[in-house]
Amino acid sequence: MMAKRGDTIVVVGTRKGLFLFHSRDRKKWSSQGPYFEGDQIRHAILSPEDGKTIFAGITSEHWGPVVARTRDFGGKWNVPHEGPRFSKESGISVTRIWQLQTSPDGGLYVGVEPAGLFRSADQGETWSSDDGLNYWPGRDKWEPGGGGLCLHTILPYPGDPKRMLIGISAAGIFATNDAGESWKMYDAGVRWYGKKDVYDREDLGTCVHKMVRDAEDPAILYQQNHTGMYRRARGDLRWKIIEKGLPVSKSTGGTFGFGMAAHPHDGGTAYAVPLVGDYNRVTPKGAMAVLRTTNGGARWEKLTKGLPQNNAWFTVLREGIRTDTNDPAGVYVGTTTGQLYHSRDDGDSWRLLADHLPQIQSVEAGVFGG
Amino acid sequence: MTNEGDSVQVYVPYPLRGLTNGVGTVDLHANNLAQAIDELNRRFPGMAYRLLDDQGRLRRFVNAFVNEESVSHLAPSDVPLHAGDVITVLPSIAGG
Repeated sequence: MMAKRGDTIVVVGTRKGLFLFHSRDRKKWSSQGPYFEGDQIRHAILSPEDGKTIFAGITSEHWGPVVARTRDFGGKWNVPHEGPRFSKESGISVTRIWQLQTSPDGGLYVGVEPAGLFRSADQGETWSSDDGLNYWPGRDKWEPGGGGLCLHTILPYPGDPKRMLIGISAAGIFATNDAGESWKMYDAGVRWYGKKDVYDREDLGTCVHKMVRDAEDPAILYQQNHTGMYRRARGDLRWKIIEKGLPVSKSTGGTFGFGMAAHPHDGGTAYAVPLVGDYNRVTPKGAMAVLRTTNGGARWEKLTKGLPQNNAWFTVLREGIRTDTNDPAGVYVGTTTGQLYHSRDDGDSWRLLADHLPQIQSVEAGVFGG
Repeated sequence: MTNEGDSVQVYVPYPLRGLTNGVGTVDLHANNLAQAIDELNRRFPGMAYRLLDDQGRLRRFVNAFVNEESVSHLAPSDVPLHAGDVITVLPSIAGG
């Protein structure tokens, strides 16, 4: 059934295909899919530019990655003949798509493995390499994280297509102010692994897991890193640790987790799902909790109403938590064991939206038709 | 060297038949595997991208056989073809 303008829709990428959900009231949901059966969808998005186009990053481990799109809620998919490619001179090949993001000037960005950034001006039909990043002089020193050397976070700056931040596991955070011509690293303040000390230089490289921008001030960033939870605002000389109320890992000394989401309207409000640690990437004590801050990370509160509190041992991956654009906001969390939980009251209470899905790798939500 | 009128046959695996409108075997003329893939791509756009990585090698989990012999480890341009050869493209038996 086709979604109607004004419906809330949820786009769920899984290890085995893509699923679409829509609802008029966020109480009763309809589902469609799976699309792209058997293929991994590490990320799929609803374009915020038109509220209609859904882009899906399809990774076939056998047959290569492409970015498909639909404008009629899965009625017809346009699958291009090719995906992004590195140059012959590079000696490397794109294997997986990790991140999709639209830009304020109408472009579409893709982050890939091995770490690379590409831009499309024709909705994914053809791609151009961001050579400033893809052939960064220190690239030979980039080390992969557990999931591979992946560019997993792309944060354009609202209203300014020249500014952008990206995150690479485990090479670090890179920033550009000239539309990708040049990049600078942005990691100062992040903890050394297992130590109280923090990096005092920008260019040492850390294992960023996810970054989001604040809803009211996009110059304020929240970061879930391998070694902890951080915040940084324009003018800050370094990332600041924001872990009051969050669990901390025995191995890193900071909060461990992957996914983060910002509230769509309320400045200072963000969500995360902390895990035990890098040695055991599951929900602590088998109890699921979403942690929320409403004051820019000064303190986090634990949200559990409606979430499983017994025998819930799973991971929430880096694209596994998102908000929609409603007021009050919907919050959506997908698990590696195939449950999709959602809240329609800013996270205060939760319900199961879908169960028995394949491993959930990404969740995005919005209002159909903008 | 294939001559005009001679041909090789390519077996297209199930996951790629969306590109061939369901066709499972294709007869074409080619002197080597690279030419065969070029010809496949001419008839079925997108096929070359599905088979070859950014460096022009067979993708990591794509296997090719000429008759009974695996040629997956060779550069496609270094795999000669002869009239009557059967090329089989198979995905690696891998995954989770």
